[in-house]
Amino acid sequence: MKPPVLVIEDEHDLAEEICFELQASGHVVRLAETWEEGLRAARAGGVSVMVLDRMLHGEDGLTIIERLRGEGNSTPVLVISALSSVDDRIRGLKAGGDDYLVKPFELRELTARVEALSRRITDTRATRLRAGPLEMDLVERTVRRGERLVDLLPREFKLLEYFMRRPNQIVTRAMLLEDVWNFKFLPQTNVVDVHISNLRRKIDEGGEARLIVNVRAAGFKLHVDD
Amino acid sequence: MLTIEFLRARAFRIAIAFALAIAIATSAVFALIYLKVSTADVERVGALLVDESAKGVGDSDEGLRRALDLRITRDLRRLDYVALFDAKGGLVFGNVPTMPPIPIDGRAHRVSEFPLPDSNSKADSAIFVARERPDGGVLLLGRSLLEVYALRETVFGALAIALAPTVLLILAIGAIFASRASRRLARIRKTIADIMNGDLGARLPETGEADDIDKVARAVNLMLDEINRLLDQLKSVGDNIAHDLRSPLAVARAKIERGLKQGATVEDQRAAMADALAHLDRAAVTIAALLRISAVENGPRERSFEDLDLSAICAGIFELYEPLAQANSIELTIEAPKPTLVRGDQDLMREAISNLVDNAIKFTPADGKVRIEAATIDGRPVVRVSDTGPGIPPQEREKVFQRFYQFERDGRSSGHGLGLSIAETIAKLHGFNLTVEDNNPGARFELRGADKASLALEAAHS
Repeated sequence: MKPPVLVIEDEHDLAEEICFELQASGHVVRLAETWEEGLRAARAGGVSVMVLDRMLHGEDGLTIIERLRGEGNSTPVLVISALSSVDDRIRGLKAGGDDYLVKPFELRELTARVEALSRRITDTRATRLRAGPLEMDLVERTVRRGERLVDLLPREFKLLEYFMRRPNQIVTRAMLLEDVWNFKFLPQTNVVDVHISNLRRKIDEGGEARLIVNVRAAGFKLHVDD
Repeated sequence: MLTIEFLRARAFRIAIAFALAIAIATSAVFALIYLKVSTADVERVGALLVDESAKGVGDSDEGLRRALDLRITRDLRRLDYVALFDAKGGLVFGNVPTMPPIPIDGRAHRVSEFPLPDSNSKADSAIFVARERPDGGVLLLGRSLLEVYALRETVFGALAIALAPTVLLILAIGAIFASRASRRLARIRKTIADIMNGDLGARLPETGEADDIDKVARAVNLMLDEINRLLDQLKSVGDNIAHDLRSPLAVARAKIERGLKQGATVEDQRAAMADALAHLDRAAVTIAALLRISAVENGPRERSFEDLDLSAICAGIFELYEPLAQANSIELTIEAPKPTLVRGDQDLMREAISNLVDNAIKFTPADGKVRIEAATIDGRPVVRVSDTGPGIPPQEREKVFQRFYQFERDGRSSGHGLGLSIAETIAKLHGFNLTVEDNNPGARFELRGADKASLALEAAHS
């Protein structure tokens, strides 16, 4: 049983939808609807990830993070906000937020990011990654599917590495653009999908099972048996 | 009204201060002249008395008395003092009853408050010379300084006559200027009131004199022009926003309504909801893009700018878009051999250029070409994105950057029509110009920065 996700959101309808969506993805959710309640619940601990609205009845939600970080609490926080300027984003991350999502957002995007935060990569120094039949050597820059050597372009390698560090986890287009290409906005065209389909063509040959699957209305997932 | 009165008072106060300064300066000049002339006069009288006393001291009693008598007789204005004292100090001859308190050394001495000869009423300063005679007696010669004082009165009289009209003239000029300024300000105030009451076409009066008020008026007028332009733009944007948001919302609503009414099966309802969702998403994309523009406009300023290489950014965009171009059978090429250095916000520049590339790929048909170039031309950083698509007719080129402008190119709509607006907003923020030209065939978008020299100039000004 995973520890619960704490949602601190004062807008009741939105809070309800967020909780519903997270529960549908198998999370246990706790909801706090005021600043004080949120801080109390966060201090109580036992929370895997916090989803925090920046504006809580006129109070700046970031002060909750600052307090928690000051007390040595390092629970990952996803900040959601209607403030979308670059400065606001930087301020949100500086205050100790781990990710920043601007309203309006898709609920699947939020869920994907919560999951990404709850499974933060602990070992970044590993030189070999394994996921199902895939094996990646980060030093040699080689990828194998079973015995077969898969020849990838550098950008395809980077993309696959991102998936292999997050097996069975939903990865959204925005996450890929942000983390792989360093693009902090969504282009209008399906530019990411083309990259994915190119990568797919190389890692799934002949009758092999599809490893990177589409997740409807959300993004992609590297689907492997654990 | 208070302001006007204050300014009027201020203009007048300046005139008063000016008049005062003129008065002080003029008085100082007159005082200096008087001082110089009177000193010279006193010295001249003193020297004369010293000479005469030296000459007369050796004369016989008889001769001296005659000479002194003659002197008194000739002195019609009664300004000369003469006296002959014997060795015991008794007056032998002359018009000075007692010896003034000066040493008997044959030099000129000034004695103040000495009564005039033949008059007890008036006492004035006088110069005396006393010299000892061979018989032990004393010859005393003197002259009142009344003439010098008369000179002083003349000088100050002249000063008063000269000064009064000058001061009055200055005050009159000050009053004229003050009232002119206040009249102009009153006109300006009235115009501002008109503008505030909604007459946005009104402009502050400019006299063309290039004085301070005129400069301010011109700046305000330019500001009003810009505000007017923005308001016009906002008005059309508002209409477009309403349209862009209303139509997907209306469609979504209709779909849900129909699903509720006619959706016989769960599948029918599901399909209606999915349709509705797609239209709501379209509305959300529009809102997100609008927020994005305002975020860029209100977002980072120069302080968050860093040195960055547009060529490297173009290379990154090329890498992202190449597979998409390939998938659409478009040949995407890049030419950015040398670093193109500018100061700016990395993320925003990437967004602006990628919007141009995104756009170009979207509108270029299969087997077409899209080319990205970055270079420094004539000292200015330039990024060009050219395509072989249908191009943009000249009359549409201005409008293409307006928010929500949707130009049907080749039957294909330009998405939510905000990509180019975002690019232009970002360009403006960086002091770049975004223009579109004919590529024969196709369109060529060009981002061109200010040249280094003018940038340096701006830096020096700020």
